[in-house]
Amino acid sequence: MSFLETKPGVPLLESDNLVRHYDVNRGFGKPNATVKALDGVSFTLEAQKTLAVVGESGCGKSTLGRQLTLIEQPSAGELKINGNTVGNLSDKEAKLFRRTVQMIFQNPYGSLNPRKKVGQILAEPVLLNMDQLGRKEREERVRETMAKVGLRPEFYQRYPHMFSGGQRQRIAIARALILEPKVIVADEPVSALDVSVQAQVLNLMMDLQEEMNVAYVFISHDLSVVRHIADDVMVMYLGRVAEKGPTEEIFAKPLHPYTRALLASAPKIDPAHRVKAEPLTGELPSPINPPSGCAFHKRCPFATEECAKVRPELRTFEGREVACHRVEEIA
Amino acid sequence: MALLEVKNLTVEFGSEDKPFRAVDSVSYSVDRGEVLGIVGESGSGKSVSSLAVMGLIDFPGRVTADALTFDGQDLLGMPAKRRREITGKDIAMIFQDPMSALNPCFTVEAQIMEALKVHEGGTKKQRRERTLELLNQVGIPDPKSRMTAYPHQLSGGMSQRIVIAMAIACKPRLLIADEPTTALDVTIQAQIIDLLLKLQEDSDMGLILITHDLALVSEAANRIQVMYAGQLFESGPADSIFAAPRHPYTQALLEALPERSEGHDRLRTIPGVVPGQYDRPTGCLLAPRCRYANESCITARPEVRDFNGRDVRCFYPLNDQGQPTGLTADMATGENV
Amino acid sequence: MSENTTPSAAPAANVAEPIGAPPSPLRETWDYFRKNRGAYVGLMVIAFILFLALTAQWIAPFDPIAQDRTAFLKPPVWMEGGDPRYLLGTDAVGRDILSRLIHGAQLSVSIGVFVVILSMISGICLGMVAGYFRGWVEVCIMRLMDIMLALPSLIMALAIVAILGPGLENAMLAIAIVQLPHYVRLTRASVVSELNKEYVIASQIAGAGHMRQMFVNILPNCMAPLIVQGTLGISSAILDAAALGFLGLGAQPPLPEWGTMLSEAREFVGSAWWVITFPGLCILVTVLAFNLMGDGLRDALDPKMKR
Repeated sequence: MSFLETKPGVPLLESDNLVRHYDVNRGFGKPNATVKALDGVSFTLEAQKTLAVVGESGCGKSTLGRQLTLIEQPSAGELKINGNTVGNLSDKEAKLFRRTVQMIFQNPYGSLNPRKKVGQILAEPVLLNMDQLGRKEREERVRETMAKVGLRPEFYQRYPHMFSGGQRQRIAIARALILEPKVIVADEPVSALDVSVQAQVLNLMMDLQEEMNVAYVFISHDLSVVRHIADDVMVMYLGRVAEKGPTEEIFAKPLHPYTRALLASAPKIDPAHRVKAEPLTGELPSPINPPSGCAFHKRCPFATEECAKVRPELRTFEGREVACHRVEEIA
Repeated sequence: MALLEVKNLTVEFGSEDKPFRAVDSVSYSVDRGEVLGIVGESGSGKSVSSLAVMGLIDFPGRVTADALTFDGQDLLGMPAKRRREITGKDIAMIFQDPMSALNPCFTVEAQIMEALKVHEGGTKKQRRERTLELLNQVGIPDPKSRMTAYPHQLSGGMSQRIVIAMAIACKPRLLIADEPTTALDVTIQAQIIDLLLKLQEDSDMGLILITHDLALVSEAANRIQVMYAGQLFESGPADSIFAAPRHPYTQALLEALPERSEGHDRLRTIPGVVPGQYDRPTGCLLAPRCRYANESCITARPEVRDFNGRDVRCFYPLNDQGQPTGLTADMATGENV
Repeated sequence: MSENTTPSAAPAANVAEPIGAPPSPLRETWDYFRKNRGAYVGLMVIAFILFLALTAQWIAPFDPIAQDRTAFLKPPVWMEGGDPRYLLGTDAVGRDILSRLIHGAQLSVSIGVFVVILSMISGICLGMVAGYFRGWVEVCIMRLMDIMLALPSLIMALAIVAILGPGLENAMLAIAIVQLPHYVRLTRASVVSELNKEYVIASQIAGAGHMRQMFVNILPNCMAPLIVQGTLGISSAILDAAALGFLGLGAQPPLPEWGTMLSEAREFVGSAWWVITFPGLCILVTVLAFNLMGDGLRDALDPKMKR
């Protein structure tokens, strides 16, 4: 089996009904509760495209990232790369998988080992996954990648604490890129950075996408960033997909009430961009004890009795997929 | 007279001979019923300056100012006890992380009542009623049952509401909110900002909103000041400062926002990073990153001056077209004032 | 002129600028350490003791076990009847106390270092396994450590020596076992907190195996509290060894171990104070020095204590 072999007509990455449940210990004498952090999420990602996963904290977007990179095994559902199901991997397959899917983390201060030099941090993935390379070749590859992300050669011998947040994130990007993966899962890669540095890192990510033909799963809560970088957007709410479609269409005309609320809540610089809307009331319900029916119905201005009883499934509407009973009327 | 008047506030850390200026002669004033937004990237000194106003800079930090007055009273000159009375009652502050601002060992009720007891007094019954009223005021659903809750039982948004309730418990005349919504989700952020603005309007408070989010201040504040590396770079009314920035930094910051780059492939960036403790430029602090910088910017440090009704710290403030002005041949030789 | 005055366009903005160099962590730690006067004095005393220990053969005026039958219980030189050859006097069988103390430093320091190395290495391994794998492994290891901690340490050391038989080596082994739970608990606690950090997950995605994760990636980040505990551990090892020696279960006579010297001198407390005072002072000063240095190290290595 080879993950790296592309087949025409088969998407690079496919998630089929991925589910991840956690058992929560509720204390002595009580039965364990189940948190449905991810409750049946499906999507496809084509090569060189960017899919943005958007939602508030607790919506399952980070859990999705952990399943895609196999940090955790999904409770159910399938993950496919080039049409091959990723299940129990042998050592050799695991190496191939790691060379296909890599990850960038949110916090550049936590994701780099403080006791290692930049060169050592970057060399680790090569050392562990590309056995055929010798010491010299490894160092050469590290230096090449550093140049690609705009890090100076003399940084090779420095420790992470000597760098600013933006530079650290460049190091993290270099680490993800060094195996030349096809997919990079980026979990809030710019949310810890200042505006000016955020722009540098976003540009770098877009440049690298063109140069190295990599596809991104871009997990974020910042809609303006998503709008800029993504081809497709998937809005999640409480472990399920609320709406999924091309970026431009979703931003031009959000269908799901939750997507609308999200767009309206984000502050805008230009008065012309501002959407006058009542802010969403209430808070994200607890995932241990989600509401019946549509998880959003308690905060939704359009909710009916049906919404409280029947859970809406994702269905196609105007070329997009929306999970809402009343999408026809709202649109 | 302004409610809070700050003139040339400077906060220094480190040794006497090699001090690090976290805040470098910053001046501003806030009036009753006014919302002042302070924006800046990390390391801009926006939080430190308000901590200095609150008297929360401990040794080895050194605070100096030409004037630091609240309602006509000199905050720096007065005895520490008197100052604590003012900063507890008339000036209140809320912080970024609501979870760490609440003591996890006590119930919501106990914590609010403690704040009331210190500054307001009254019987236990009165204080309990006032607590209930406060919780209602900050929009906590079912406040009676939340009174006995512990902080860990509340969500981030609820905790921030409680923190706000504590801050307004003594009817402050000035509220300083330091990144009040950064730890919260967008939909909750909108709720909290709405709440803050409503409370501010109802009681005619002054409000200082400190944040890194340009869009947020542009929506919420009346006046905005932009800070960079401890200095004030530009200040002016909210509706015009972002429409026609006068300082190259404000301009560059706006262009770096994805919102301003719609339809473009790349974002415009500001090269480099904010100068830290060890690499402060000798001239204008922005000079190494500024696209308009020339010789005089690198050698001399500009002062804040008035330009078209806006305070700007730049030799060549921008005009309405976003082009630098005053770049005549003789001015560039270092004769700028 | 016009070239200077026209604003130049921004250069390609994609090269990260370096930020200024803050002091290296080692340098910073040393600066903080030096500011703590007690710790600095402790370090000086330890350096002095180490010097004595390393050069004992050459600087001690006499063989520590050589007896001078003409000079039993000579008082120190400044007292009436003192012998100028024996600076701190002699003991009941005519051995030079100063020489014995200098050689005793050698013994004490090696006891401390050996005990700490032994219990630290095994403690780190156990704590690492417990913290990294969690589950029943953790339960087994940690409960065993709890049981060990529930027994008074000296009594447990006594019991172990009683089983193994008296002697310096067995005493050191016993003390190492007694100290073990501290290192295990400390290691486990730091491993658990490090385990949640993203760099560990990043290495996992890079394909790092368990051994690499535990000892290459996580361990260096857990060392600061362990170094502090190790320094404090040396002093308590010296103290415990002295106690065991005093009870006759540690170093056996005629070895010049400080605790053993105390025990031999018990009967002369009333008549010849110097036989018992000087070894006691040595123990006190050494233990105090290690404790002071340990405290200083803790402050210097703990980022929360820094301004």
